[in-house]
Amino acid sequence: MSAQNGNGSPHVELRQVTKRYGPVTAISDLTLTVEKGSFTALLGPSGCGKSTMLRMIAGLEAITQGRCFIDGADVTDLPPAQRRIAMVFQSYALYPHMTVRDNIAFSLSIAGASRKVQRERALEAARILQLEPYLDRRPAELSGGQRQRVAIGRALVRKPEVFLFDEPLSNLDAKLRVQMRFELAKLHADLRTTMIYVTHDQTEAMTLADTIVVLDRGTISQVGSPLDLYNRPANKFVAAFIGSPSMNFFGVDLVGASDGLASVVLPGGRGARARVRGASKPEGAVELGVRPEHFGLTGVDDPAAALPGAVVIVERLGSATILYVDTPAGQLIVQGDGNLAVRPGEQIGLSLVEADVHLFDASGVAL
Amino acid sequence: MTASADLAAPLATDAGARRLAGLRRLDLLGLGLTLITLLAAIVFAFPLYWGLITTFKPEYEIIRPGVALWPEHFTIENYVHVLLQTKIGYWYVNSLITSVAVTVIVIIMAAGAGYAISQLNFPGRQFFWWMILASFMVPIPALIVTHFVVLSQLGLINTLAGVVGPQLIAPVTVIIYKQFFDSVPKDFREAAVVDGANDFQLLFRIYLPMNWGVTTALAIITFIGAWNLFLWPFLAVSSEDKMNITVGITQVHDAFGVSYGRDLAVAMLAALPVALVYLVFQRRVTQAIMLSAGIKG
Ligand SMILES: Nc1ncnc2c1ncn2[C@@H]1O[C@H](COP(=O)(O)OP(=O)(O)OP(=O)(O)O)[C@@H](O)[C@H]1O
Ligand SMILES: [Mg+2]
Repeated sequence: MSAQNGNGSPHVELRQVTKRYGPVTAISDLTLTVEKGSFTALLGPSGCGKSTMLRMIAGLEAITQGRCFIDGADVTDLPPAQRRIAMVFQSYALYPHMTVRDNIAFSLSIAGASRKVQRERALEAARILQLEPYLDRRPAELSGGQRQRVAIGRALVRKPEVFLFDEPLSNLDAKLRVQMRFELAKLHADLRTTMIYVTHDQTEAMTLADTIVVLDRGTISQVGSPLDLYNRPANKFVAAFIGSPSMNFFGVDLVGASDGLASVVLPGGRGARARVRGASKPEGAVELGVRPEHFGLTGVDDPAAALPGAVVIVERLGSATILYVDTPAGQLIVQGDGNLAVRPGEQIGLSLVEADVHLFDASGVAL
Repeated sequence: MTASADLAAPLATDAGARRLAGLRRLDLLGLGLTLITLLAAIVFAFPLYWGLITTFKPEYEIIRPGVALWPEHFTIENYVHVLLQTKIGYWYVNSLITSVAVTVIVIIMAAGAGYAISQLNFPGRQFFWWMILASFMVPIPALIVTHFVVLSQLGLINTLAGVVGPQLIAPVTVIIYKQFFDSVPKDFREAAVVDGANDFQLLFRIYLPMNWGVTTALAIITFIGAWNLFLWPFLAVSSEDKMNITVGITQVHDAFGVSYGRDLAVAMLAALPVALVYLVFQRRVTQAIMLSAGIKG
């Protein structure tokens, strides 16, 4: 899934879009291009404006300022039905008084398709989603996962150019979510239709999407592939948001930088090095970020150890071990192998690899 | 249920015994309440029984002093007379036509108005809403003279259309629809809008079917109200073959002198459809009464 699916040509575009609800600015001056055929996730914490963006693309929310394009055509003032999009709602919004078949065929019946065409297309969609046995049931008689599938079927039957999903899996339990995630990925691999997917769950975004748009308070924080965001976060917000457990941050002193390699002094006095983008960097206080899984474990007196520390708590997850370590830089979270031989109270050393160390200036921008 | 379960379980503890005593006291209370409700039911049901039994008595027995709970000579003469010698057939048909017309038109208009005020954004929406709320504050009988003047100027007095007209003022129905449509989650609307539905399709394929229960309840209560209405049909119609059955009763009275048995026989026949509707749709009727009581209260 991580392979680039988009073919490079823009499909959905927002140009300098602003959305205000009275005095509240939900989206400010946002520009975004979604490539044709891509699976793009809009990711961000609650209230950052994900749903608002999706609803503006759908035409359910008027754009205060700016334009929206689909396939090169300005759709800013078109009603939703004429945008050739289909939307799957978080609540599914299945009509309780209709059978699964009628729910799926609703858009066709609105468009005036014959009864026969409706039945055929509904059956076709049901077949793709393994809903055939349930066609004559009502939504109340289905499980959560089946309802979810009906909601997707209702979108599918319209053969839209763009699928819009607003947190479609958030009402499912963890196991079902994983299964539906797989089925959505398969659906995208089969259809190759552009999909825009809103979620606040980074795992969903990372596993499903080929492009992730991280939103922070109504603006785009970073756009990139899942690995881009993980390996090269553009700012502290993305660095903290992507990855679990989340990245450790602490203050360090930048003492020099040359050839894209910066030297810092860590709390406790030892030195470390970090890859940086630009050539010259202002010396002084900066923030260092390192992911729990990127620490190396050494003996406390090992010359490679950048930080000494005392293990406080050991959490065994089976596949990994999470350590809470008290260091001169504060308490850090460290992730090691599943069968790591370490006990609470033990003194250990933490080593750093320059490629995995991130530096951020005072405003949170990555150096 | 819990009581019998408790009795079955061995009373090992004091607490258990005390609980049982508590239950007994509760049962006594329940018995008392049952008796009171039973008494109230008898008080309410007796006039009905009295009316019904009177229709099966010959007239001389009716006016005889004393309380006879059962007819001495059982007769259906009153019914035979009413069915054969009066225009009850016309009255029935008139009642049916006007009540069905009122019901259908009120439901369609109220659903439409409720939908517009609940879901559409148009200038003056709030104004219309206040108007409907305000008109609901005005008792209809207070307007009856104005209605008469307007309808006579329209030339609708002494027509069935004239009987129907003023009954179409049904703000409560609009208010109930509006409240139910308000509570439909907006995702349903948006999903249908994305699918290309217009407002008529939204109303008739989503909002109304999702609220069928309300519609049947409102339709039943509107029908019963229209069927039982007396004052307006009485004022609006003067010729006998345009009368509703409720008004027709007065004709029996006038044309044949006071005949309680025959009057009550018409009244029983008039009440029959409503009683049937009530028996069949008991649950819905109660629901409807609660609905409008909720608005009024
Ligand atoms: N109809 C509205 N009126 C006023 N403010 C609104 C409205 N809809 C959304 N907002 C505000 O706009 C901002 C973005 O809301 P939005 O629903 O897009 O968030 P979100 O990212 O989807 O959050 P969540 O993950 O909780 O769904 C929020 O601050 C919210 O309070
Ligand atoms: Mg949302």
